[in-house]
Amino acid sequence: MTTLETHYKKIKDLHHEEAVAPGTGLCAGCGGLEGLRLGLKELGNDVLICNAAGCFTLLSVYPFTPLKGSWLYTTMGGPVPAAQGVRDALDIQLSRKTLTEDDNLSIVVVAGDGSSNDIGLGATSAALHRKLDFIYFCYDNEAYGNTGFQLSASSPYGSSTQTTPSVKFHPVGAELNKKNLFDIWRAQEPTYIATVSPREPIDLSNKFAKAKNLVGPRMFICMSPCPTGWGFNPKDTQLIAKLAVDTGIFPIKEYFEGKVIHTKQPRRRLPVEKFLETQKRFSHLFEPERKSDVIEQIQKTVDKYWEPYE
Amino acid sequence: MFRVRLHGRGGQGIKTASQILGSAAFFSGFQAQDFPLYGAERRGAPIVAFTRINRQNILERGPILVPDILLIGDESLLEDIQAAPLCGADNFTAIFINSSRLPEKLQENYSLSTLPHVLDITSLCVKFLDNGSSTSAAIAAVGARLLGQIEFPALKEAVELELNAQGINSDLRKKNIDLAEEVFQLLTPMEVKERPEKNITSSKLISSEQKPVVLAAPIILEPGNMALRKTGNWRLDRPEIDYEHCNNCLICYARCPDGVIGIKTDGSPEIDYDHCKGCLICAQECPGHFIKTVKESGSWE
Ligand SMILES: Cc1ncc(C[n+]2csc(CCOP(=O)(O)OP(=O)(O)O)c2C)c(N)n1
Ligand code: SF4
Ligand code: SF4
Ligand code: SF4
Repeated sequence: MTTLETHYKKIKDLHHEEAVAPGTGLCAGCGGLEGLRLGLKELGNDVLICNAAGCFTLLSVYPFTPLKGSWLYTTMGGPVPAAQGVRDALDIQLSRKTLTEDDNLSIVVVAGDGSSNDIGLGATSAALHRKLDFIYFCYDNEAYGNTGFQLSASSPYGSSTQTTPSVKFHPVGAELNKKNLFDIWRAQEPTYIATVSPREPIDLSNKFAKAKNLVGPRMFICMSPCPTGWGFNPKDTQLIAKLAVDTGIFPIKEYFEGKVIHTKQPRRRLPVEKFLETQKRFSHLFEPERKSDVIEQIQKTVDKYWEPYE
Repeated sequence: MFRVRLHGRGGQGIKTASQILGSAAFFSGFQAQDFPLYGAERRGAPIVAFTRINRQNILERGPILVPDILLIGDESLLEDIQAAPLCGADNFTAIFINSSRLPEKLQENYSLSTLPHVLDITSLCVKFLDNGSSTSAAIAAVGARLLGQIEFPALKEAVELELNAQGINSDLRKKNIDLAEEVFQLLTPMEVKERPEKNITSSKLISSEQKPVVLAAPIILEPGNMALRKTGNWRLDRPEIDYEHCNNCLICYARCPDGVIGIKTDGSPEIDYDHCKGCLICAQECPGHFIKTVKESGSWE
């Protein structure tokens, strides 16, 4: 069994240089930004980011950019086709020797869960089929954040979003289950897939360090607590990221050479409500009266996921 | 017509305050119009909202350039050139500032032409709501009271309506109403002089010339120049490291989403206050609680 090669053991080992300059317009306490920040520290500056329309479009606001590398803004469905285009262009130039290997760039897609699970998924599947050599970073804030937090295929069952508030005839809020993007990607056997949490910088950095040296499609899903959309005080972003892992709601794992390994398995899972009760998007599960059936349903789904591993 | 302009930071409830004020005026028999204006930035960045109140129909549209009442949701905005809350204010304009300082001091420091109305809204919000940055009901109450044309029951109804629409539970709505009442009682109506209405004149249309697309393509050639934008002005609270106790574990450095905690040559963390947005994750995450939080007010003593 291949386990994660460990480069980093301590926070002090992480790259001290920041690849994302401060001053961006993203919310104070944005969990996704923390994930991207740590990931890019590892990938370095020789990257070309194809960024799907979403919150992270605010990374670069003309005439400013926080990045030392290149950035290309694409439509919500278009970051992966854009990645294919720039990858091909670079490869052609490299083969014609109009660019040298020193000028080569890693192609990185940055996209929200809406783009990744919905409108962008078809093109991503096509690129996985073609074994496009790129890194995909999906910051998962579990809704369409940029436009005011509407339901995406990644919004979890029982959460309220702008389009699925808890109302008389739909008290649960979102009634569908979150899409399993990890397994959808896995079915196409890309080179590497990992889920990462901003609260686990060592695990995250090791995964990026590993992916960096591989070839082919390499995919990341980053749990991205969103104070604005989820409804919590920005200071609690990391606490909520931790609870997502400790309750087992967000499994930290990787897929490599045909196997899935949990790289951080909670020893004793906390009850899911420890996570749910921290956020306004779940407050209708607790007041005016407790919706025990919904909370139980969420717990059951999590238990079922972990059953084979515990 | 009364024109009220509200300034604050995203997440502080300024937009809701403009809505509450509009509804309270409506319940008092006025016509009302309210809307916010903000850029692409998220929570924390300066925002502005407007409420127009009139006995007749309101035909005027667009931002309020010359306000009758200015409601400034936190004092630090006065030092923010992007927010520029005093823009367009004249001798007719009544200025309200959320601050714990004396009106005379504020007038002197910010060279205000009139003595501002001042109340420490943040402390009241902490007292009533246990949250200093939920200022919507309090700021709306200030506007309603200063205008002197809105009675408390109308304000109460408006707070109830607007906060309910936002999914705020009844317990918290009740606390907001108590807060609004306290603010209402602490202030006295001002004398609002109605401005003589100006006729609106039309301006000439400007037609622009077509240029080659490369001239218009937004290409940024200076890497990392985002740092020129100082997001430090978003902060309502400032994290301060207690270096006597800090053991340089660097957890705060690892957890700061904006990467504004640097590492000094001696291995200790250092906060870049030009950019720190004040999320306070660092203070929350420091294992020994060696980062304390201090309320931001203007940079003068
Ligand atoms: C085809 C299309 N529909 C709608 C939009 C408007 N739009 C811009 S960003 C966005 C939300 C994207 O959500 P997600 O991918 O989850 O990223 P987030 O905003 O959460 O960062 C939407 C709907 C668009 N740009 N393109
Ligand atoms: S809305 Fe959420 S995901 Fe978007 S920038 Fe703000 S915190 Fe980040
Ligand atoms: S409050 Fe702390 S964690 Fe938040 S931006 Fe400032 S330094 Fe970073
Ligand atoms: S987390 Fe606390 S103890 Fe650790 S480096 Fe930061 S301030 Fe010092």
